[in-house]
Amino acid sequence: MSFHHGELLLITVNHETVSMEDRERYSLDERQIQSLYQRLHQSPDIEESLILNTCNRFELYTKTSDPRNGISIVYQALHDFYKIDTEEIEAHASTRYGPAAIKHLIEVSAGLRSQITGEAEIFGQVKEAYALCQNLGYSGKLINRMVQKGFQAVKLIRNSTPIGEGQINISNVAVDLSMKIFGALHNTSVLIIGTGEIGEKTAKALRSRGATDFGIASHSTERAEIATHKWGGSPRNLEDILSYLNEYDIVISSTDTDRPILDAQNLSETVGVRKNRALFLIDLGMPRNFDPSCEEMEDVYLYNLDDLAEIAETNLKERKAAIKRSEEIADQKSISIWEMLENRGLVNFQ
Amino acid sequence: MILLELEDRQWIFLATVVFAATTGLATYAALKLRRKSSRAYTLALVSFGWILQTIGLYGRGLQYGGCPLSNRFELVQFMVWSAIALYIFVGPAFRVSLLGMFTSAFATIFSILSLSFDSWDTTAGAPLFGDSPWIETHAALALFSYGTFGILALTSGMYLLQSRSLKQKKMGGFFPFLPSLFDLTSINLRLLLIGYLILSISLAIGGVYWTRETVSVDVPKLSATIAVWLAYGVLLLLRFRHFISYKQFSWACIGVFAAALLSLGPVDNSTNEEASLNQYITLSARR
Repeated sequence: MSFHHGELLLITVNHETVSMEDRERYSLDERQIQSLYQRLHQSPDIEESLILNTCNRFELYTKTSDPRNGISIVYQALHDFYKIDTEEIEAHASTRYGPAAIKHLIEVSAGLRSQITGEAEIFGQVKEAYALCQNLGYSGKLINRMVQKGFQAVKLIRNSTPIGEGQINISNVAVDLSMKIFGALHNTSVLIIGTGEIGEKTAKALRSRGATDFGIASHSTERAEIATHKWGGSPRNLEDILSYLNEYDIVISSTDTDRPILDAQNLSETVGVRKNRALFLIDLGMPRNFDPSCEEMEDVYLYNLDDLAEIAETNLKERKAAIKRSEEIADQKSISIWEMLENRGLVNFQ
Repeated sequence: MILLELEDRQWIFLATVVFAATTGLATYAALKLRRKSSRAYTLALVSFGWILQTIGLYGRGLQYGGCPLSNRFELVQFMVWSAIALYIFVGPAFRVSLLGMFTSAFATIFSILSLSFDSWDTTAGAPLFGDSPWIETHAALALFSYGTFGILALTSGMYLLQSRSLKQKKMGGFFPFLPSLFDLTSINLRLLLIGYLILSISLAIGGVYWTRETVSVDVPKLSATIAVWLAYGVLLLLRFRHFISYKQFSWACIGVFAAALLSLGPVDNSTNEEASLNQYITLSARR
């Protein structure tokens, strides 16, 4: 084993290398995190530490005054805390030293190592982990410098590459398109046809982005009422859709139907009342719930499941294409951060 | 007129280079790097170009002792200057990404056009509006409203682009950087109202002058001006009453602006005649 750069070491147990069952064994709540910090710092050779604990990863960054034996000291502390054999922990964990550990921190924070490439939530989780570490007093000059400079690198990656751009799940793609049509969603009304899971997910995504006025239509009034109790909104009878369609801006449909619920002919009856207001039809049903002829109407925008999936797929491809460039940035920045730490006498002190 | 060792046209040429560079950089950032160029960065560049243009037009103004509106070159430059001024001072309130890029493209095209034809830049060599500051205000306001309608044509173009992308499900190009359709329709209405109000004030001032000196304004200029004012008025009415779709409205805004630009021809000819008349009046008074 090489001890080069061993004063900064990282131990990571994450979704890339370990199954969910094994990851669960390392999962911690806030109280347990505090206990682990206490256990680690009982050792005089551990000077600073940072624990990142999410559903997909357990990571421990430590600064040790004994680069040669630092890794053994940390494994021993983990063994004492988790009551898992050291050999087993070694088998689950990957280790990184020095600049490689910094690079890993940047890549994780930028979403490059996430299950959903480029997702932004992880950056918030890293920030929270760092805030807790600072509050408890377990970070010092090295970890503070590394994290703060690392965050700058993360911002550079997210601002200069499309790694986090474009939605990659169907519900969020639908929400993004809604916002491209209506801007802020707080004044839009949403009609959900059918009470299926995908409709519910899309409604949730719309609600999270500001939509508040919901109607739920079903072939059965009873089912619509049950759904409104669960999701909120007002129940509607699907048979009378043309009488209330003009009250809504976005219509999401995912119901079983023998023939299209809306087509150009019945839609044209509502055009006069709508006064040129746009109508966004999201057809998540199979067979299709809206006739393709709806698209011929000037202010009507129709997207079906394939359209949304294609956009999500394109966005995912663009994100993946951005990984290489992002990794290059992470590599360059981790080296320059390490050099800065060396110049300040925070590492390479053996 | 030479200012800081440069001719007024050279200042305007430099401004055009800055506008072209802004357009090029913002387009490259959006289409090639897939990044939205910062609004502050674009605004700073456009403002720099506008300052250079202002120096050029100021040089012209010193020559006449009034607004530089004596020929087609100056009319176009003043309209471009007004459009940029509107973007700089009111544009940030719209919070529209790419408006700076579209506005600098607009400025580049019209500036290059006006610099390309030497015949557009024949100087009158005398005060254009005699002793009347009001008629000078009339002309300046009218061209400022044209600048506003120019920006309206740009945002209408943005609406058509965005609407087409959404209809055809093409999410590339400028799509990620353009505002929502709803925001664009609301901005378009505000721009039409501002432009129409300024044009109406300009015509009201011009109308007072015209009733006093009916021979001083020729029929083609009067007809062209009233036609533009009526066209925008009708458009405003149709929009308020929801008689036309947003798409038709956007096309109409672009069409009417193109017609308004063509109407600058009669206005320019008339301006030259007015200049000759004013020169004659000035010389007669001296005798």
